[in-house]
This record gives sequence, structure tokens and C-alpha cells, in this order.
Amino acid sequence: MAGTMERRMWDLLLILTTAPHSSDVVTSALRLSQAVLDRGGSVRVWACGYATMMTQDTFGDTKLPNTRDPEGYYPSPSAVVQRMITDGEGRFGWISCTACTEERGSTHHIPQVRHRSPLRLATTVTSAKQTLYLGGA
Amino acid sequence: MTTTKGRGARGPRVLCVLDRGYRGAVEAQFFHALYGLLDLHEQFEQIDVALRGAAVTMAVEEDEYRPEVRLGTMVLDTLPDYRGSVRDLVEEGFAVYVDRSDVTALGFDPDRLVDGTTCLPSAELSLRWPEYDEVWFV
Repeated sequence: MAGTMERRMWDLLLILTTAPHSSDVVTSALRLSQAVLDRGGSVRVWACGYATMMTQDTFGDTKLPNTRDPEGYYPSPSAVVQRMITDGEGRFGWISCTACTEERGSTHHIPQVRHRSPLRLATTVTSAKQTLYLGGA
Repeated sequence: MTTTKGRGARGPRVLCVLDRGYRGAVEAQFFHALYGLLDLHEQFEQIDVALRGAAVTMAVEEDEYRPEVRLGTMVLDTLPDYRGSVRDLVEEGFAVYVDRSDVTALGFDPDRLVDGTTCLPSAELSLRWPEYDEVWFV
């Protein structure tokens, strides 16, 4: 008889449905994530709606040039998330909702992003000790 | 009558009204509404700015906030610096109007606004609209 698979428990799940460039919520989600990571915890972000735009590989590593500071270094949103995933060493994860990805046409994610159907949302919630839903889609 | 402006003609005189104060930080960095105005204004005869609602906070002077955040090993010191952009607007000749009632309603002192901005009562702000060809709600 096959044994049961033990599921990993995450300390925090952030369901992020707020569109980037619309409010401070995306930044708050990242700051909150970092605060949990700094305390040794683990965080997973489930990006829905236009939040799926955050991890598009079409951004490249940097934003477009700042005409008022052409030599400045401005990392792209996907580069920031990518760095957090790398630096988190397995304690920070980013999931993109496949339905929202299709709906928004945001289909070119950086490879570190996991793709999940909304049919797995409840399972993802039960895999976290706490869930915060940051709305605004 | 509709006329077509020739190539190189400058756009109309525009008053840009900003009501929303928060439009992203990590994802936006320099690419925010005031940057757009600074970047585009040479195409227009005149662009001025009216800050209302939460957007008045962009013109409130303060000394402590540093527009940076640490995420992973990355210190992102390129978050939007709205006060700096308001100073740039003033320096580059924009008129920057700030709604006095919104400043006081949010608990700020109208005397603590960025130098060169003009703090006006709401009604007086509206009276300036006819001075422009167009009013945009940015």
C-alpha cells in the first residue's frame, strides 16, 4: 500500500489580487513577506488578476531607462521577485493563477514562478498556517 | 471647427488634476504620474498641476522618510520620491496648486508645503480651470 505524501506547511500565504501601479498594496505584500522571512518564517504569494503581471519575463532585469537619470539602476518587478525567491532559499515562493494569467494575457513568467489552477486555491490555503487576502482585483 | 496642428506644434495648455496619492512603489519607482508630467511637458504649451485628495501629501515637506526598502539582499533606494518630483516641477516652471482643505483634513500644516507650491481653497482652485484649454484628471 502506498504511503501518504506529507505536504509542506508554509507560515504565511498572501493571496494578492491587487493590480501593480494602482496602490501601495503590492509593496506592502513584499515588505510583509520580507518581515516574515527576516524572522525565519516562510511565505508564499498567490498572484491573481493583474498581480500576475509582476513576474513577466518580458520586463527583463531592469525597467525602461529613466530619462532624468539614464545611468540609474532600476530593477524590474520580476527581477525583484526573482531576487527574493533566490535569497529566500526555499522560504519564499510565488504562484501565478493560471486562469488570471490567461485572462490577462500575462503568460510569460520567469521560470521560478509556479503555475496553479484556481481549482487548487483551497488546497494552497490549507497548506499555510495563516492566509491574508489582499484584495483589489 | 477642427484644425490640424502642424508637425512640431505644441499641445494645449493643460491643468492636470491628481486626486490619488498612492500608485505603487516597488513596481513603479521613478515611473509615476509626476515623472510623466516632467517628461512630457515640453510637448505642451503649458502643463500645471493641481493636487487634491490624498495626492496633496506629495507636496507636504518632511525630513525623515527615505524612499527605500530592503527586499532579500537588495536595497531598493529608487522608490518614488514625490516630494523631490514636486520640487522638480516647481523648478521646471510648473504651477503646482495644492487643495488647502485636503491638506488640513489630512492633518497637515499648509505652511509646511514644498516651497513654490500654491495652497488654495477648493473653490478658488476650480476658478482657475478656464485659464486652460483642457483639464485632465490624471
